[in-house]
This record gives sequence, structure tokens and C-alpha cells, in this order.
Amino acid sequence: MSFLGVEDLHIDLDEFHLREVSFGLDRGDYMMIIGPTGAGKTILLESIVGFWNPERGRIWLEGVEISRELPERRNIGIVYQDYALIPHFTVFGNIAYGLKKREKTGIDEKVREIATALKIDHLLHRKPETLSGGEQQRVALARALIVEPKLLLMDEPFSALDPRTRRETRRLLLDVLERRNITVIHISHDLSDAWALANKLAIFRDGVMLQFGSMEDIFRRPKTRFIADFVGASILEGTVVENDNGYCMIDVGDFHVMSVDYADKGSDVLVALRPEDIIVSTHLPVSISAQNIIETRLRRIMPEGRTCYLNLLAHETELTVLVTNNALYQLNITPGDTIYAIIKSANVRIVNQTR
Amino acid sequence: MQKVNIFKISLTAVTFFITLLLVLAIGSLFVVPSLEDIRQNIWNAEMRYSLKLSLVTGLISTVLVMLFALPVGYALSRFHFWGKGFVKTIIDMPIAFPELVLGLCLLLLFGNTPVGKLLSALGLTFVFTKKGIVAAQFFTALPYAIRIMKSTFDYINPRIEFVSRSLGYSMAETFKNISLPLAKNGILASTVISFARCIGTFGTVLILAGGSYMKTEILPITLYLNISYGNMGMALTSGIVLMVVSFIAIFIFEKTEVGL
Repeated sequence: MSFLGVEDLHIDLDEFHLREVSFGLDRGDYMMIIGPTGAGKTILLESIVGFWNPERGRIWLEGVEISRELPERRNIGIVYQDYALIPHFTVFGNIAYGLKKREKTGIDEKVREIATALKIDHLLHRKPETLSGGEQQRVALARALIVEPKLLLMDEPFSALDPRTRRETRRLLLDVLERRNITVIHISHDLSDAWALANKLAIFRDGVMLQFGSMEDIFRRPKTRFIADFVGASILEGTVVENDNGYCMIDVGDFHVMSVDYADKGSDVLVALRPEDIIVSTHLPVSISAQNIIETRLRRIMPEGRTCYLNLLAHETELTVLVTNNALYQLNITPGDTIYAIIKSANVRIVNQTR
Repeated sequence: MQKVNIFKISLTAVTFFITLLLVLAIGSLFVVPSLEDIRQNIWNAEMRYSLKLSLVTGLISTVLVMLFALPVGYALSRFHFWGKGFVKTIIDMPIAFPELVLGLCLLLLFGNTPVGKLLSALGLTFVFTKKGIVAAQFFTALPYAIRIMKSTFDYINPRIEFVSRSLGYSMAETFKNISLPLAKNGILASTVISFARCIGTFGTVLILAGGSYMKTEILPITLYLNISYGNMGMALTSGIVLMVVSFIAIFIFEKTEVGL
């Protein structure tokens, strides 16, 4: 049995609804929940902590059903985007708050220990309003972690932080979590958070969990077009023209692609290609194991930090490719050049047509 | 140079006009009597009685009002429950109601109904008694206090309370540790407004407790009784005392920056 089990959860609040949410996490898992605003992600976290009672369904933690348990008895920590620090307490008071309920002695040392780990030990006497966003978020983290919760829930903890503070907080969080083996559910709208932290991913939309699985699963095998779009894959519409020997040949209009995924001959399918799975070459490769070689024209180069996206056009079909700046320099290409896009058939994924 | 905005100027002018009118009206209360008159009237036995009774009943009523406004305001702000809309409408009603009608309703309730008889048997007789003053003030001020407390709690981020509960504190402990301290400005505002409202309650007190000379005579009743005898000095003095109380209350209320 999973460490945390959520089973057919239904929640109805005034304007938010959650439908048929089921998933399981093992101890130490780091689950990232991604989805557009209003997808019901926060409601899910708040019902796991116990602020909302489910209409239907059950939640299990360490084999015990907690669906109707009071929040104060669940020992699940929550960290919010707006930090929710207690304004009339000092930083010390905020961090020690939960600990005081449990212990009478050793509070001082424990607060100092976690504050040092999160680099906020010099702020203990300050009031929350005098801190920067990144500092406040670390206080909120310390407050949640110090009581050693069975489960830590975080609702967009980094979204109010600037990119540098975000990276730094992420690194500190990882350090602290690694030492504690805490199971985490983290809501974010930033895929880079998922790559940096998570091993499980769930995609939500309109109160429904569209897909749940390992990071690899969802990025390589998005179940629906929405998910594929959301995780940044190029989507091509096509028809299966041939299917044998474990291969599918798909006609996407301007060219054919070969996939190892199965679909019935004659069926209309969507094909997902991940930008990092496509290799580019300025010359037609002669002897190569990849089954798909597509002649394209380079339309645009879009820099993105140390990498850049290439926008390729095969007649009228667009492909997006991710390359490093270094590779781009060596290729020495400019818009208008002919480029060969090379894709292994194992990286051509057939996506469900639903939703 | 920016062009003159007629719309803005005329609206500001209307605002100033109405403020000026109010200032003149309030000012005349202070201009008409002589200081010596006020001093003498304040030490008059009737005035001393009325002032003392007003303060005592006002304080008791305010304490009672706050004892109810805090839980009711919190419940209305935080909880969803069956019939909440109905509850809010009924609780707010006395704000729009004439005080005299409220007084009449209370008079009927505490009179010959089973409720009135039951309370009487418990030693709580409200009709034409000093307890009636407290009851009248209580019901007149309560809706204002509840409104202020509700909007105070509405402004407190419920997530702070959520976090407190996730850290092991019960709802009641969270209310004591988090919600109450964060609501302190609202509690102060609500208390001063309630007190001012209690001290100034006239119609409800007149109908329920009666306006008997030196018996159920509070400041607004003193004003009313004296103006009917043509005793302007006493009427003005009670008016001034009431005005000062309201002024202090509004001044504190504005400082707390709480919405009504």
C-alpha cells in the first residue's frame, strides 16, 4: 500500500470542484502538480491537510484513513505562495509556533538548527513584514518542517520570487528535504521546478487529474494533446498509413514519421515530439540509426538562457528543437538555411485524441 | 497647465458644502450656551444621575455587545452554514429599522409573551427598568458591532489560521492565538462604536425602559425631557456630552482603519 493514497476524491466548494482524483505516493516521493489557474490544485492540497471535507472518496496516510480527521491531528505541513506568516510574531515565534504545541524543552536549539540550514538564523528577532519575499518563504518552510510533518504540501511556494532567489530557495529546500526524507506535494506552474525537484508529476485541468506518473512518463508519453502542449512538445496531426513489425508509419501531411507506438491503421492520431529529442544537422546524414530524417528550413532562433529553441518549418509543419548555445555556434546556421531534423522512432509518441 | 475639471470641482464643492453645514450645526451646540452654564448643569443632580446611569448602562451594554459580536462576527465571516443569508439579514435589520419600532418589538417580546414571563421569573424584568435600558442599547448597537467584527475577520487571511491548524492547534486555540490578536484594531473600533451607539440610543430606550425622570433617565432622555420643559441649558449640556463621546469614538474608529 502507498504511503499516501488518494482515492476517488470529490470536493465541491462554491466555485471550485474536484472530480475523481486518485493517486498514490511512496515515502520520499516528490510530486509536482501542474495545471492552469482554477484547476483545483489548491483545493486538493487543502483537502489533504483537512480544511475541506470530501463529498466522496478517501485519503489514506501510512495505512490509516484520514479523510474525516481534524487538520490538527494529521501532522501534514502546508506552505503557501503568500507565506501566511503570523504578522504579530517574530521570525522565531513563527518557526517555534508548531513546536511549542509538541515540546516544552529544546525549542531554542531546534529553531536555530533549522534556521541555520535555511540561512535565516540572522533574522530570528525580526518581524515577518520586514523580510524580503525569499526570506519570508524560508521562514514559512522552516515553520512547516520543524515539526517533522509526515507530508509537506507546498502551494506555488516560489512563484512570488525572482528567478535568482527562486533557484537559491530551491537548492536550500532540496538540501533540507534530502536529510529528512519527507514526502512532498508541490504545486507549480513552472516546469523548471518539476525538473529540478520532482520524481512524480500530475497534470490538472478543470478539477480533474488528467495524468499522473513519473516525470519521464508524462514528458515522453503525454496522454492528451493538452498535456503535450502543456509540457512543451510539438504536436502533429496525422493518419496511420502503415503498421507492422512494431512500427507505425504516420502521414502528418508534409512528411511521414515512424513511431514505435501502436495505433490502428487508418486511425487519426496526434504525434508528440519533444524539443530536446530532435537532433539537427546541416547535412543529410548518410548512415544513421534514426528512422526519421526530415528536411526543413530554419525559420527563427529563440535564445533562452544557455540554450535556445530553433523554429523549423517542413513545408507548412512546424517543429521546435532545443539546442545548446554551444551547438548552435558550431552549426553556424542562420534563418533560411536548410536543416535536417533527425528523430528516433522511439521518440515519436502517439498521443490520445481525447480532451 | 492642467485644464480645470468642472466635474471634480463641483463634486468637491458639494462635499465641502455639506461638511460646512454639519460643522455649523455641531458648532452651534457649543456656541449657544455659556461655559458657566455648562459647568453648573454638569453638577446638577439630574445631570449627574443621567451621566452616571448612561456610563454604567453603556459600559455594561458594550461588554455584552462585544461578547456576542465576536463569536457571531467570526461565524459569519468564516463558516458556511444553512440559513446564513437569513441570519445576516435579520441581524442587520435593526440598522435600517427606526429605533422606536425596535423598542416596540422589544417591549412586546419582554412584555406578556412566554419569553417575557420566563425572563421575569428569572428576575430579568426589562419593561420600564434599568435592565431595559441595557437591553435596548444592546439590541440597537449589536448589528453595528457584528458588522465591524465580520469585516475585520474577513480581512484576516484565513490561510494563517489554516497553517496554525496544520501545526497542531485546534480551531479554538487558533482563534485565541491568531484571529483575536490580529483582530485587535477591529475589536477596538467595534467597542468604541458600540459604546457611542449605546450611549446615544434614544428611541429604543424610551419605548422599552420608559423615560422616567431620575429613574431610567440617560443622557438622550435628559435632552428630550429638558427640551420639552423648555430647559435649554440642560438639553444643550447633555447634547454636548453626547457629541464629545461620539467625536472621540469616531476619531478612534478612523484611526483603526477598519471597514464598516
